[in-house]
Amino acid sequence: MLRLVLGRLGMMAGVLLGVLLLTFLISRLLPGSPVEALLGAKPTAEQIAAARLALGLDRPIYEQFAVYVWHALHGDLGRSLASGQPVLAEMTRRAGASFELVTISLVVALGIGVPLGMRSAVAQDRGFDHLVRAITLAGMALPSFFIGMLLQMLFYGSAGWLPLQGRLSDDVLLDHPFDPVTGLALVDSLLAGEPAAFGSALAHLVLPVATLALATVAVVTRNTRALMIDALGADHIRTFRAYGLAESRIQYRYALRATLIPLLTIIGLTYGYMLGGSIVVETIFDWPGLGAYAVNALVSNDFPAVMGVTILLATVYLTINLLVDLTYYAVDPRLGRR
Amino acid sequence: MRERLLVLFSALLLVATPAGATGRTVVQAGAGDIKDWDPAIAFSLEVPMLVNVYEPLLWYNPPGSAEPFTPALATSWSSSEGGTVWTFKLRPGVRFHDGTPLTADAAKRSLERTIALKQGAFYIWDPVAAIEAPDDGTLVIRTTRPAPIDLIASSQYGAYIYSLAAAAQGTDWFNQGHDAGTGPYRVRQWDRGQQTVLERFPDYWGGWQDRNFSRVILKTVLESATQIQLLRTGDADIVAPVPADAILGLTRNPKIRVAQAPSWNNTQFLINTAKPPTDNLAFRQALSHLWDYNTVAETVYAGSAEPAAGPIPRSMWGHDDTIETPRFDPALARQLLDQSGIPAEARHLTLAYIGADEEYKNAALLFQQNAARLGITVELLPGPWGTIWDKAKKLETAPNLQSMTWWPTYATPSDWLVGLFRTEQPTLFNLSHYSNPAFDAVVNEGVALEGSDRPAAIAKYGEAQQILMADAPAIFAADLRTRVGYRADIQGLEANPAYAAVFYYRLWRSAATE
Repeated sequence: MLRLVLGRLGMMAGVLLGVLLLTFLISRLLPGSPVEALLGAKPTAEQIAAARLALGLDRPIYEQFAVYVWHALHGDLGRSLASGQPVLAEMTRRAGASFELVTISLVVALGIGVPLGMRSAVAQDRGFDHLVRAITLAGMALPSFFIGMLLQMLFYGSAGWLPLQGRLSDDVLLDHPFDPVTGLALVDSLLAGEPAAFGSALAHLVLPVATLALATVAVVTRNTRALMIDALGADHIRTFRAYGLAESRIQYRYALRATLIPLLTIIGLTYGYMLGGSIVVETIFDWPGLGAYAVNALVSNDFPAVMGVTILLATVYLTINLLVDLTYYAVDPRLGRR
Repeated sequence: MRERLLVLFSALLLVATPAGATGRTVVQAGAGDIKDWDPAIAFSLEVPMLVNVYEPLLWYNPPGSAEPFTPALATSWSSSEGGTVWTFKLRPGVRFHDGTPLTADAAKRSLERTIALKQGAFYIWDPVAAIEAPDDGTLVIRTTRPAPIDLIASSQYGAYIYSLAAAAQGTDWFNQGHDAGTGPYRVRQWDRGQQTVLERFPDYWGGWQDRNFSRVILKTVLESATQIQLLRTGDADIVAPVPADAILGLTRNPKIRVAQAPSWNNTQFLINTAKPPTDNLAFRQALSHLWDYNTVAETVYAGSAEPAAGPIPRSMWGHDDTIETPRFDPALARQLLDQSGIPAEARHLTLAYIGADEEYKNAALLFQQNAARLGITVELLPGPWGTIWDKAKKLETAPNLQSMTWWPTYATPSDWLVGLFRTEQPTLFNLSHYSNPAFDAVVNEGVALEGSDRPAAIAKYGEAQQILMADAPAIFAADLRTRVGYRADIQGLEANPAYAAVFYYRLWRSAATE
């Protein structure tokens, strides 16, 4: 097991270095000036020259890359050109918001998608199954920005039930501030004993979570359904039925368990997919997370920030995949004996 | 159980409802967050906030006012020795937000710090030779050449006076969301990427009336559609700028007004004068007659622009009213095209514009169609500004035409003439790669006269504009208007093209809703 973990960690390091090199080359070789983001609208030629010198853009590209990697290994991802703040500090501050949004969305998507997929598989080719398939197809086809704006119009514009954007209301930000201990507003507001802030955080989560979860519910439901149909058609399930085992026990104890390993892979991939998808959702809802940060960085040629976000997302994605692989061994101990 | 759920849901709704835009609080929604808090450096989207926190020596008045300036931190001023010595008498009894008094020495050291940092718009003070504070209430600025220090001192960039006691803590201190101004509002809170909250400064020299807003919330809202939704529901009082295509819908809402006023932002499509086929004068003139000025202003900008009359907006002093502007005239364009001698197979152009800008895109598409009717192929190259700018600076990668919206750093027409069209080596913003020694000479004379003999400077700038119209280094497309959407109960909104900002101190909410 240790050898496996070490091997995978080595592979992760190699992949990260590759991602780093590729992103660095793309950001430096494509035409575009990063100094405008740094200096404002109308810099002078002297200011541009000074900024290029300060950013090390006058050095050979391999030297720039080596300096970047050296600093990155020491936890310094540079300063954002757009905000002037250290990239690592900005990402750390924003990571909680994205993590909270994506994780809750995934839990909601799994909570709805897995049972729905199971019921759909059990009722294969019957009315309920057709209905679920039609709805999930629509869920997959509709883009997040459309769903998000539709939900905003319905629940904010028409009904006035839920907030339109942001992570906390004005009043909470002003009158019930709390320290970001974990970066998760729900947790931090409770730790600070601020129920009003907790309520506000919860209310602000509803629409972005619904938007992000909806497309994921469709993916989880359809995959669970397909896996369950395969599992329910297996020889040993037929044997259990012949022995007269209760149908619910067959479905939940045996069929669902057989789907766990492929389902874990899907969940791992989905988390990465949702992190990417959160870029759109965070933009629509002004969610102060990594997605909105990435968008701002891209449109303003903020190379250090683009690099930082890329490295962070790649690391998260690779870590999740490693954890998923390790979970296989917990779910099916036979894998460890091979 | 059901009752408990109902109570919980009701509580959720209560805390969810934004309570900002009421009573003595005014809420503005906009796309920009603060980049630089340091008033010496700020040169970006934070400026609309800064004008409410900091003050310059003078405010520049909107065009048409009886006087060109309103006293701010200086109550009177005069120039002598041919515009090389400027004396400002400072307003007594002014305090910075940190409690220290405004003195001439504080103002002197504040300006000296701005100049020494060499960041942002420090270069507007380029003519300054020395700053002196002979007594607590007198500030003297000496220049190396006649210079319009009154105009420079009223700039929205790099001209703020701030407490050096606070500034001594450095730019990083400012960038934590601190301020050191004298303005009516001080910064209470900054939640990065979410909102900035300003609160009234009780010791403001201008005093306070009951109707003034005591709190200002500036919400960062990236999507313009979301900003509009907030305005419609009243969760935001002000949205600026509103997208052109939203104006009509908003004006139908009786609870919303859209204020439009001339701005000093204008749009041109710079024509590369050094690259074939646009290095040919007749060909460039033909292009200027293929631009459908009225349709662009009325349709593309939904009436929030007017066809430009040359490089300088009509509302800026020094604009030459006698200019003959090209009109949309395909027949004349065809004649000029024939005169140009450019063969049909060489009538191919590249046109770069900022892809995220709908107005640029639609104007470029219209131009592409009109040009195609005369056999000119226009290849559209949308992209981000950084890429466009980088390519346009080098002749080998520069397009034939490219979009450019320009505004002055301080209230001077020379900003357009020098910044966009004076010979430049290496190229920075003269992306037409235009070089005309006669034009350069006239502009330089105008700049030299601006501080000592403004009517003579205006005459020189007029000559320069005539030269530009003859040489056609750009399609002068549109003078843009400000577009501020606001709730009907907000009163006191005044447009001033010199400041891309809303002055919250001058606003109040009408009594009916207080």
